[in-house]
Amino acid sequence: MPHRTANREAANKTKSGRVVVTGMGVVTSIGIGREFFWQRLMSGCSGIKEVSSFDTSKFPVHKGAEVSDFYPADYICKLCPDEIGRASQFAVAAARLAVLDADLSITESEADNFGVVVGTTSGEPRVIEHFDDHFVVGHIERINRNFVSRYPCHVLAAHVACELGLGGEVVTIPTACAAGNHAIVHAFDELSSGQAEIMLAGGADSFSRITYTGFARLGAIAPEVCQPFDLKRKGMIPGEGSAFLLLETLDHARNRSARVYAEVAGYGLSCDAHHMTAAHPQSQGAVRAMEIALTSAGLGPGSVDYISAHGTGTPTNDRLETVALKRVFGKHASQVPISSIKSMLGHAMGAASAIEAVACVLAIAQGCVPPTINLVNPDPECDLDFVPLTGRKQKVNVALNNAYAFGGNNSSVVFAQCEAR
Amino acid sequence: MDRRVAITGMGLISPLGDSSDSLLEALCQGRSGVRPVELSCLNGYQCHLAGRLPGFRPESYLFGRPLRPLDRMSQLACAACGLALESSWWTAENRALHDLPLVVGTMFGGMHTIGDFDRAAITSGPASVSPMAFANTVIHAAAGQTAIWHNLRGANSAVAAGSISGISAVGQAAAMIRQGRAEIVLAGGVDEFSVESFCGCSRAGVLCTNGAHSERPIPFDRYRNGFALGEGAGFLVLEEFTYARRRGASVLAEVQGYATAFDCSQGNDPEIAVRTLVRAMRTALTRSGMSYRDIDFVSASGNGSLTRDCYELAALDTVFGDRAKELPVTAIKCGTGEAMGASGPFQIAVALETIKRRRLPGVTGLRELPPGCRMQGISANPRTLQARNAIINGVGLDGNCCSLVIASLD
Repeated sequence: MPHRTANREAANKTKSGRVVVTGMGVVTSIGIGREFFWQRLMSGCSGIKEVSSFDTSKFPVHKGAEVSDFYPADYICKLCPDEIGRASQFAVAAARLAVLDADLSITESEADNFGVVVGTTSGEPRVIEHFDDHFVVGHIERINRNFVSRYPCHVLAAHVACELGLGGEVVTIPTACAAGNHAIVHAFDELSSGQAEIMLAGGADSFSRITYTGFARLGAIAPEVCQPFDLKRKGMIPGEGSAFLLLETLDHARNRSARVYAEVAGYGLSCDAHHMTAAHPQSQGAVRAMEIALTSAGLGPGSVDYISAHGTGTPTNDRLETVALKRVFGKHASQVPISSIKSMLGHAMGAASAIEAVACVLAIAQGCVPPTINLVNPDPECDLDFVPLTGRKQKVNVALNNAYAFGGNNSSVVFAQCEAR
Repeated sequence: MDRRVAITGMGLISPLGDSSDSLLEALCQGRSGVRPVELSCLNGYQCHLAGRLPGFRPESYLFGRPLRPLDRMSQLACAACGLALESSWWTAENRALHDLPLVVGTMFGGMHTIGDFDRAAITSGPASVSPMAFANTVIHAAAGQTAIWHNLRGANSAVAAGSISGISAVGQAAAMIRQGRAEIVLAGGVDEFSVESFCGCSRAGVLCTNGAHSERPIPFDRYRNGFALGEGAGFLVLEEFTYARRRGASVLAEVQGYATAFDCSQGNDPEIAVRTLVRAMRTALTRSGMSYRDIDFVSASGNGSLTRDCYELAALDTVFGDRAKELPVTAIKCGTGEAMGASGPFQIAVALETIKRRRLPGVTGLRELPPGCRMQGISANPRTLQARNAIINGVGLDGNCCSLVIASLD
């Protein structure tokens, strides 16, 4: 298979151009900022409550994981907070927090090679929802003059770049629920190939009526709680938020004596090419993504210490992900702790895998793994160690982050302890 | 050893035909795909021009399976990808043996599908919407649908960088091959004309008006007054050079270098805007191992925009210095309109065809360049041109800039 050879070559290349995580910023339904987020995550807090963004009275379900106590002006200095959409506000805030966390001052000479990649599902859905509200009643003249400079999803990356003064590659990757991972992968490639020295990579999404409508119609939204891998799980719960990782080449990080949290060790991407919304019945694509990721990192399945599952809480996803994990990890599958933090955060769409990447990196840096809350009655078909209810102290050298999206899109990213390699 | 990137196939659905051959021919004849549009809800808008696809019929390109799950964006992407795969002999049998990756560039995604879905829920209630339509409301729906239709099991990615999304996708695909991540990648872009994009751009005042001056957008003309929206899809098959040769594929050209840069002023500061595009072009040249002297012609991003066209002229003047006066430049958006995600692939297709057939299309309708502009190589008429190397520019409305260098083999 040609792609195997290609991945080996890429793996060799990575060793000379290693990429590390030196800063993280998060805006989530359980808290804002790396430290607070991690504390809340390890103690099993839930961000799920009644939806407040819009009226859910016509829906059969009413729960969501929205970000509260978020004051955009606290983070957005250069742009006008009111002139950008909510997803952009989240993205700018998380990106700024990541830069602060990395203790990085952006010099003018470096700004031109400093880029930003943002993953998203919906871009700025509220902007088009507002458009639609006017359109259905025939008030086209009330459509905002700035509609076209606020709606298209590339503005997420552009707003981060404008706020922070970045002149490198500025791009949005709209691959839905796998988008955060895709953004990290894209930045990793730019850095490891020497095209850039610093990149911000992350994901952002705001709570969307359109997304909620769609998942409700699919019957995929749980009425009360999100309980991945539980026998009585009833579905996912839509959420929102943003997370960014500041990625640098190892050389760049060393030159400025930066604190290194972890290394991006490799990744694998694949497509089921099977169905838009249903996963492949044998999880073929998910298996291939994990295998390619491990190969590209030069690691065997036995060296993985923690897995952040996609774990949406829908009956099918969790069952098929378990099948995929067993196929890739064999006997080791039951030894490795696996958790779904969507049990606490709901599904933050394009931001989800970026937030989960932060959880993986912090698991490595802090030596503990977050729990899957609400997992009371394990599903016999999901018989792995899903870290039920409480988090654990545990040394983590290598963590794997899985994320899957509509369109049969599969992504796996490997993070590793930097010294361990 | 350096890995080289070959272009081995091309497929497009454009307002001026579904092949690079017909697109070049139409542009050289001075034909335009930009025409008045009639949409009942548009009373009161000044601009009624757009480069729409005349009678795109998906069933002429896609056979054997129901088309119902595909929205129009997906149909366009599937059709163009099918043509690209066909032209490079990536048959269904070959695709079954290899995990082909796909990178789709798009500015608006399925904005019309998304809007329709939302409006159905507003008017008839959330229980009335179609689950099948929901699947197409994700922005990368065209990428997923195309992967399913053509059995593409490799990495499946989407790129959104405004109107440069299509070139960005090609640049990203070239990087995947160069870095050894893949031997072959299908990459390009797609966007459709929609009532949403039309209303939005119109409200923002960036579209050309069909007033006294002209019936079409005229890039770089002194009296230009905006651009017209276009639509379509264009995809390239990129392969590692020796891999392509080994399987006996014919190589149309090579992707040399690609670079992107961002203008933080988003076009509000002319100096920064020009400097950013200069940086993109120079970096692309450096990465190609070329100097500005090696470039035979430019496929400009120019679409008739009041500000961006000026910035591009100034940037070309800076980069090409003593060659500015004679450098041949074309701007195809006079004929296609600003097709956003599809624009870059259209430009690449025309550049490939220009190299092959030694004909460079003119900027039809151009009467006079802006005062002080030295770029006398921009002409209203087509010309004969022996060319090897071309630079293709992309300048977005929101600060995104990029340049791609392609070269023929001989």
